[in-house]
Amino acid sequence: MFPHILELGIRKNVSIQLNAFTLSATEGLRIYHIIDGKFEWRINQRQYVFYPGDVAVILPGQEFGSENGVLEIGSFSWIHISIQKKNNGEIVLGKWSGLSESESLAIGKILLLNNSPALVKFNEAGKIFKCIQSEITGQEIGYVTRVNHQIDELLIQLTRQLTRQVNPGRDFPKTFMNLEQALRQNLAHQWTVEEMAALVGLGTTLFTERVKSYSGFSPINYLINIRISEAIKLLKRPDISVTDIALDTGFYSSQHFSTTFKKLTGYRPSEFRKIHLRNK
Amino acid sequence: MECIITIELGTNAVRVFAFDMNGHVIGSLKGYYPTFHTEPDYSEQDPEQIFITMLYVLKNLLNERIHPKKYKVACICFSAAMHSVLAVDKNGNPLGNAITWADNRAKKEAQELNNSPLGDTIYTATGTPIHPMSPLLKICWIKNSDKERFRLTSKFISIKTYIIQQLTGEYFTDYSIASATGLLNIHKVQWEPDALAYAGITADRLAEPAPVFTTTGKLKKAYQNSLGLSPDTKIIIGSSDGCMATLGDGVKGEGKASITIEDSGAVRVMGDKVLQDKQRRFFNYLLTEDCYVSGGPTNNGGIIFEWFTRQFGFFRDPFDIEHSMQELMAEAAKVPVGSDGLLFLPYLLGERAPIWNANARGMYFGLNIKHERNHFVRATIEGILYEIYSIGKTLEEHRDIKSISINGSFGTIPFCTQMLADIFNKPVRLRRNFHSVSYGAYLISATAMGIYKSLDDAARTVELPDVYRPQKQNHTVYAAYFNIFERLSTQLSDAFEAIVNLQQLKA
Repeated sequence: MFPHILELGIRKNVSIQLNAFTLSATEGLRIYHIIDGKFEWRINQRQYVFYPGDVAVILPGQEFGSENGVLEIGSFSWIHISIQKKNNGEIVLGKWSGLSESESLAIGKILLLNNSPALVKFNEAGKIFKCIQSEITGQEIGYVTRVNHQIDELLIQLTRQLTRQVNPGRDFPKTFMNLEQALRQNLAHQWTVEEMAALVGLGTTLFTERVKSYSGFSPINYLINIRISEAIKLLKRPDISVTDIALDTGFYSSQHFSTTFKKLTGYRPSEFRKIHLRNK
Repeated sequence: MECIITIELGTNAVRVFAFDMNGHVIGSLKGYYPTFHTEPDYSEQDPEQIFITMLYVLKNLLNERIHPKKYKVACICFSAAMHSVLAVDKNGNPLGNAITWADNRAKKEAQELNNSPLGDTIYTATGTPIHPMSPLLKICWIKNSDKERFRLTSKFISIKTYIIQQLTGEYFTDYSIASATGLLNIHKVQWEPDALAYAGITADRLAEPAPVFTTTGKLKKAYQNSLGLSPDTKIIIGSSDGCMATLGDGVKGEGKASITIEDSGAVRVMGDKVLQDKQRRFFNYLLTEDCYVSGGPTNNGGIIFEWFTRQFGFFRDPFDIEHSMQELMAEAAKVPVGSDGLLFLPYLLGERAPIWNANARGMYFGLNIKHERNHFVRATIEGILYEIYSIGKTLEEHRDIKSISINGSFGTIPFCTQMLADIFNKPVRLRRNFHSVSYGAYLISATAMGIYKSLDDAARTVELPDVYRPQKQNHTVYAAYFNIFERLSTQLSDAFEAIVNLQQLKA
């Protein structure tokens, strides 16, 4: 019924166990919710401490476990979900999910860009685990749909919690800097306003308003700013073709690049390059 | 109809204003650009992004407000933040990012020069404090720590020089920006041989200094086309933001001082004589060959209240700092003058004038069991303004200050302006609605175009209609607390150093 649920479990550990929780990497997305106790776990080569209510999120391929295999006293529940990783690194959910394609892409993107796998005080996850558990055991009418809904709900809540934790809604300059960094690191990606807003943890309307009043530009125009600035730097180096520059900086085509570039600077990219390399 | 465009290349953003020939604002737009902190002391900006942002904002303003009304742009005048350094190669292409005024990587170089007798000679000749902000010391840092960049550099220029060079193909630096490099002799108005030798460069590796009224060659054809500007649009090199703000407030002549409080701040006076200060507490920058803008800068302006708001504000909506700041100000207003004896030292970012102590740190002092949350809010604002006053007070050792003008987003909040008037015990004047920096640029443009006979004439026309008058009884309270503020600021210097050592150990 649920091929996308690789594992669903709860564990109560009453005594310290050796070699019971060794490091491993798997293909699925793993989510752990601490019910009680204190756990020191290693995720993607970094050590984290988890307390009751906290949630650990392990992305596909990341190593996860306890440093020396020790499992401390306490209890926790978990789910492992199968998700597909496309060649370009994007994460997509399966057909079971009711999320729209763009929403599911945005969630995947935020999970990938997030570098803190520890969510503090996220008890919603525990409630959702319980609900999934009881739906599966009860098998009442409509349980398949309800279980899948709950997994969608889990991923949505998780993503919102992640962005809120990174951007607590107080320091816009810092938040904007984080966003700007994410854009630069992934300039070739066709960013949408929805994705950018989700990354900051705001709805699109409020996000656009805040960006406009802070930067003077709409989110998309600010992005074009970064794209052209990066393109200028690359045009001043002789070793990359104009087409590659266009694609690397996120334009659909060299034609699109050329038009946008000329509109702003008055030069076609090739002209601009010639002028700035003339003395070489 | 003709109009004048001013472009301010500020610390975080470019602001473009359009004025009619009488100095009325037709429109304005801003565009943000980021500052990168790739290492703890580094503060850099991408010259290409600044250029593109400037073009984008300028183009939007022209298309939205100027071209539809058939205004003809007579000239474009620039102002910029001081102390930036950009290394460019023989083709004029940047070698890495520009290093901004806030960059502290040249700490060691600054300390060395400060402790050497040459430090006195260079400070006296150039008017720029021996501090990591100084381009002289940044160039020294590149020479010592980035030898390859130093070797490849054809010229060390400012961000403004780069932007003007992109637009016109010509390298110029104005007297004001040049005088803030630590390399220009402000008495002779030429590069100072001692400073050049110390930086290890010759004068041909700097841009030619020129008066602030200088018109460069024509705008390049491509930009004439993309911006829709005629070939006879004059490009005026202009001045620095600090000098422009002072001019824009009309602070020429005796008895006047100008205060700017944005994130950081400064207190400035203008005159035909350099301020000679044995303790080297002031800067002396050039507006023209016979006009000096002198004063002291602070690191800890509005940015400290923003920090406070982020920690203790209510934030009913995400990121709504303006509203949260207003709420806190309203709380502060309910607390008696002097915060019932709670004092705040605002030195969270170390301090420049007048104590020049990078190790200085913040503190709440005098806390007793009756103090409440509101007291902290008011004490924080009072502390920020006591620091401003401490600069003003040292300036008064040299100049008689009768009236003050205030500009900048934090200083012009009415609650702060009134508090300044009370602390200084002097009337404080301001203008609403627009930026003193841009108005200074308008005055320079209008003078360059012959609308005014001289900058003195131009400055005389400045009207600052709003006046905040000092309240004597408040001043008495503030003066008593300021006395303790001043003592703490200097007496704690050992403890500051000790705590900084521990803080750095942990980091």
